[in-house]
Amino acid sequence: MDSLQPVLDGFGVVLDPTNLLYCLIGVVIGMLIGVLPGLGPAATIAILLPLTYGVEPVTAIIMLAGIFYGAQYGGTITSVLLRLPGEASSVVTVFDGYVMAKQGRAGTALGIAAIGSFIGGTVSIIGLTFLAPVVAGFALDFGPPEYTALALLGILLVATISGGSKIKALIAAAFGLLLATTGRDIFTGAERFTFGNLGMADGIDFVPIAMGLFGVGEILYNLEERHRAAAVPVKVANVWPSRADLKQSTGAIGRGSVLGFFLGILPGGGATISSMAAYAVEKKRAKDPSRFGRGAVEGVAGPETANNAAATSSFIPLLTLGIPANATMAIIFGALLIQGVTPGPQLIANDPELFWGVVNSMYIGNILLLIMAIPLVGVFVRILRVRGAILAPITALITLLGSYTIRNSMFDVLLVVIFGAVGYLMKKFGFEPGPLVLAFVLGSLLESNLRRSLLVLGGDVGGFFTRPISATLLVIFVVVALWPMVKAAFDRRKSSRHETSDNQEVKENA
Amino acid sequence: MNFPRRRAVLGVTAASALLALTACGGNVGSDSSSGDFPSGPITLTVGQAAGGSTDLIARTMGAGISDQLGVPVPVVNKPGANGALATKEVAAMPADGSNLILLNASLITITPLAVSEDETVTLDNLDVIKGLSQDDYVMVASKESGITSLDDLKKSTKTLTFGTTGVGTGSQLAQALLLAQADIKGTEVPFDSGSPALTAVMGNQVQLSTIQLGEAKPQIDAGKVVPVVVFSDERNTFLPDVPTALEEGYDVPVSQYRALAAPKGLPEDVKAKLVDAVDKTLAEDSTKAFNEKNLLTPKEISGEEVVKQWNDLATKYKDLTEEYDIELSSK
Amino acid sequence: MKHKAKGAATETAPGPGGTAAASGAAAGVSGPQGGTDVEAVADEELTPEELAARWEEDAAPPAGPQANFWASLVTLAIGIAAMVLSVQLDLGTPAEPRPGMWPFLVSLVIAVLSVTQLVVGRRGGRDGEKFSKLSWLAAVGFATLLALVALMPLLGFEIPAVLLCFVWMKILGGESWRSSILYSLIIVAAFYAIFILGLQTTIPHLF
Repeated sequence: MDSLQPVLDGFGVVLDPTNLLYCLIGVVIGMLIGVLPGLGPAATIAILLPLTYGVEPVTAIIMLAGIFYGAQYGGTITSVLLRLPGEASSVVTVFDGYVMAKQGRAGTALGIAAIGSFIGGTVSIIGLTFLAPVVAGFALDFGPPEYTALALLGILLVATISGGSKIKALIAAAFGLLLATTGRDIFTGAERFTFGNLGMADGIDFVPIAMGLFGVGEILYNLEERHRAAAVPVKVANVWPSRADLKQSTGAIGRGSVLGFFLGILPGGGATISSMAAYAVEKKRAKDPSRFGRGAVEGVAGPETANNAAATSSFIPLLTLGIPANATMAIIFGALLIQGVTPGPQLIANDPELFWGVVNSMYIGNILLLIMAIPLVGVFVRILRVRGAILAPITALITLLGSYTIRNSMFDVLLVVIFGAVGYLMKKFGFEPGPLVLAFVLGSLLESNLRRSLLVLGGDVGGFFTRPISATLLVIFVVVALWPMVKAAFDRRKSSRHETSDNQEVKENA
Repeated sequence: MNFPRRRAVLGVTAASALLALTACGGNVGSDSSSGDFPSGPITLTVGQAAGGSTDLIARTMGAGISDQLGVPVPVVNKPGANGALATKEVAAMPADGSNLILLNASLITITPLAVSEDETVTLDNLDVIKGLSQDDYVMVASKESGITSLDDLKKSTKTLTFGTTGVGTGSQLAQALLLAQADIKGTEVPFDSGSPALTAVMGNQVQLSTIQLGEAKPQIDAGKVVPVVVFSDERNTFLPDVPTALEEGYDVPVSQYRALAAPKGLPEDVKAKLVDAVDKTLAEDSTKAFNEKNLLTPKEISGEEVVKQWNDLATKYKDLTEEYDIELSSK
Repeated sequence: MKHKAKGAATETAPGPGGTAAASGAAAGVSGPQGGTDVEAVADEELTPEELAARWEEDAAPPAGPQANFWASLVTLAIGIAAMVLSVQLDLGTPAEPRPGMWPFLVSLVIAVLSVTQLVVGRRGGRDGEKFSKLSWLAAVGFATLLALVALMPLLGFEIPAVLLCFVWMKILGGESWRSSILYSLIIVAAFYAIFILGLQTTIPHLF
């Protein structure tokens, strides 16, 4: 980057009152949409597109971007308070965030998520500012073999993340993979497991599964648990993370930012994998990994930072290459086209004001999000004060009505209810829904890219290892897979060496 | 615990009062409204997800019709099976003009070649109101492949990989037909949609892909990919220098068309009003600008012509695929 | 910014009426009164670890060996069924896989793991929870949800939703008649306002 002048000019653009206003509107709408399960940022942006026709392109994009990451945070709120992951990248937050809420630390969880998201987003924006062109080319080198390797790594992470019975977690994950195969096979057009139902033709969507397994499953479970458990009072003590919590999370936030930034650039699936990777990293690094799944604050800080960093860096392929990294980006791409702006390699050159205006608006948007989160966390935590008997039908209705809005289809609502029953049964029998959902998301990525790789490589499997990126990823895969065994072997040797040295000491001292 | 009778009576009265409000604006059950059309909102259903080109076209048309007829025209997305789900649903609704569907030609002309009988949708239970626009496919090559024309393709000795946007799409059909007719060997690599297919070409993960023009143009202009051939009937105004497959001597006219339709059996006056509203919308400058921006070529033909053309295309594609022994899917 | 937050947020749970987290193990609704319950608030604030330990003590008994047996059997059955269906989809070869190959491999894994679990978990273990009489509550909840799904296209969401709320609050939750009816109507009215008036969604509605 030669001069910072365009960047500073960009700030001038953003601080324009109209743009600030639209940024605020976008973030607020985004948060509200994120809290309502079902209606996602993609659909919302599409519906609100007409609002953008009458304003400047910069203003339009600023608002749309605001909706996007506002929705991310809204999804976090429901993950923590209601165990309802709004998006695939919020699933991991549920593991510890929801437990923290039950412990009366919802404020901590939400606060840490807000702070982490802010820092992750900021780091990502700084990275975007200085590294965008360099990193963009990197995204193009990811072909089917690389995505296959990445998905394999992801599946491995799924196994690592889950607590409880490992075998059951793997069974759940395998079910997730199986569910991902439903629908029409894009390679041959064959219908798999659709049982003649047209509603299954495109397979099952992530949202009904997540809302059913996590949301409705938990609601059904609580109908029973509420009456069984003796009243264990919990003080809803804090509304904001303590200094200790913050200190504990700094490492997680730092690592999450970097992970999220790099993984978010990859078109398709970066955010989810980054949240999983962040969680796995934190769990492995922790002195006491058993805390995870029981309310470890790093378990929220890491993934939340990562997925926000990834959400921000997913703008890079869009703005620099004109490649949308996910569905929401695709719509923003369309919105930009309507505005007469063509995102792509020429954007920085042709319209630097717009480019930097958008980039800097994300910075401001993140600040706005953090500022708004402060009072809102207090409000949302109060929701938990509502009696369970009343909260239950409210949550159930939000989930069911919200799920209708995904595709305006009653079939999806039925799916949510059915998966709700499955989620309840899974809980009773000791299976965790997390691995299922995560494997589901990765499953289609894995299979499609594996088959594509075979086509692209002409059946030559060796190609996986001759391509630099996929080879690296596969090596990492092997290392991560074998690490526990290697570590165990090391520890045994260490302890035996200690024994011998202890014995020697004893002998010497004798 | 006492049973407060008064409260119960109140409750029941309230409930029945609510029930009595059934006539007020609900959307459950068929509401056959007689009298002047339009007497209420017109629902425009789209069989694709929000934000895609079909959806944007629907929203533009919806807004225009709403202005012309003075009633709200909400757009409802019901994605699934390339629009089959939504189309079948709308075709089964009462034909009183309060329900419209935005049709994709590929659903009628190409999808039947790839799916089973009961998933096939025909125009038989629909009344087509007007044809709207045409969206063309272009085959692009990566820079690294060194291919700039169809001749280069034919001369190539390597087995090339060709990205498509999925099974049963115009992209797949066009490419398959061209390769078969030109006797070019290649491996077909399906992607989920246009965007990943385009990205793959840009990164030379595959050497060629056939993408919709609107998606590919920015990259063509930026020089990241090289256009080889378009599959429209005539040269596309947005890419005047690129030859058509027809010009090169191959019978591969494949384009995506969109039209507005309603359930079959529309009363004549209702249909006339709708056609008028659509015509006026199409004549607006804002619609023309929209088409320009999205690289759509207007194809504003009457409903009857749409039916004829699309059914002809469906038959043509069927014949061509049989002739060249092409199977879009393995049924 | 952070200092501001700290200043504003020194909220501790007030004594009476301070019912805490709505879900499972935390303080919930007790008897049929349904009014603001005066819970016995713990004198000392429990650390998360202590809380987790408390929960484990209070937790329902683990599912046990029988449950493990049946669960593993069910997953095994599904795995095998999926394997059969996959073969029907045509397997192809590893170099040129057909649609059935991947589902076959995955369902094979499910079947194998199920057998493993059957063996490994035959003595029970600590996961899962036993069913109890209270589990019927969950079953009723599930039934009402299905009823909602069935009735929504016919009657719109308002009436089935009111009924569901009422059943959940009164029968499953032990609230009073008045609160149940009142809250049901308020809640559904609020949803109407949000989803129909505010967001203009097309959820089937009667009014």
